[in-house]
Amino acid sequence: MTTLIEWVLVIAGQSLITIGVLCDLVASIAMLRFPNFYTRLHAATVGSIGGAFLPIIGVALVAAGSDFLGSYRWFLCGASLVIAFIELLLAGAGSHALARATHRARAAPTKPIIVDLLEEDRGKGEV
Amino acid sequence: MPDLEWLVTTYLTMLMIPYFVAFLLYMIRIIKGPTLPDRVLATDALGYDLAAFMTILTIVLRSPILIVSGVVLILWIFSLDIYVAKYLEARELGG
Repeated sequence: MTTLIEWVLVIAGQSLITIGVLCDLVASIAMLRFPNFYTRLHAATVGSIGGAFLPIIGVALVAAGSDFLGSYRWFLCGASLVIAFIELLLAGAGSHALARATHRARAAPTKPIIVDLLEEDRGKGEV
Repeated sequence: MPDLEWLVTTYLTMLMIPYFVAFLLYMIRIIKGPTLPDRVLATDALGYDLAAFMTILTIVLRSPILIVSGVVLILWIFSLDIYVAKYLEARELGG
């Protein structure tokens, strides 16, 4: 016998997973279509926060609401929340480290750019 | 009133198809990527999505032990980021 609160948890979790899958598709298309590395960083953020953080929270809600998983569902719910928290911390830090190193090493072209103030400051020795 | 187990299993199984399409598009960028940071960035996004996919697979396959691999995968992807960033800045990987 499933109660109303379990239905609400499962429907909310499935909505979050659906939003995450849409973000994932958009991010993968944008990763192909954007012109250079610095614009592809936006697509990577959409793919890692919208496309992975939201579905993992949704999986936690679905696992909390589905009693056919047995007593392991609370293990699933807690582990999903831990994974989501770790990913929320690490995705932004990793992307930032990669972007900073790429700009300092000039490893990727900044082709359709109009002005690059960080590069000018670095040329003057201020950064 | 439909069965809750049927709803969860069917819906999550159907949602795997767009995930596979997204994985394919990320793989195209990994293979095609003109520079090294492009490839690493696409590998990042692919790894985080694989972790999310693995947690969905945990519910569909009813095997809760699979979810532990998500933590390892995310930490591995982060270490790849940091190592590549250090290599790009200092041109070496030592201490």
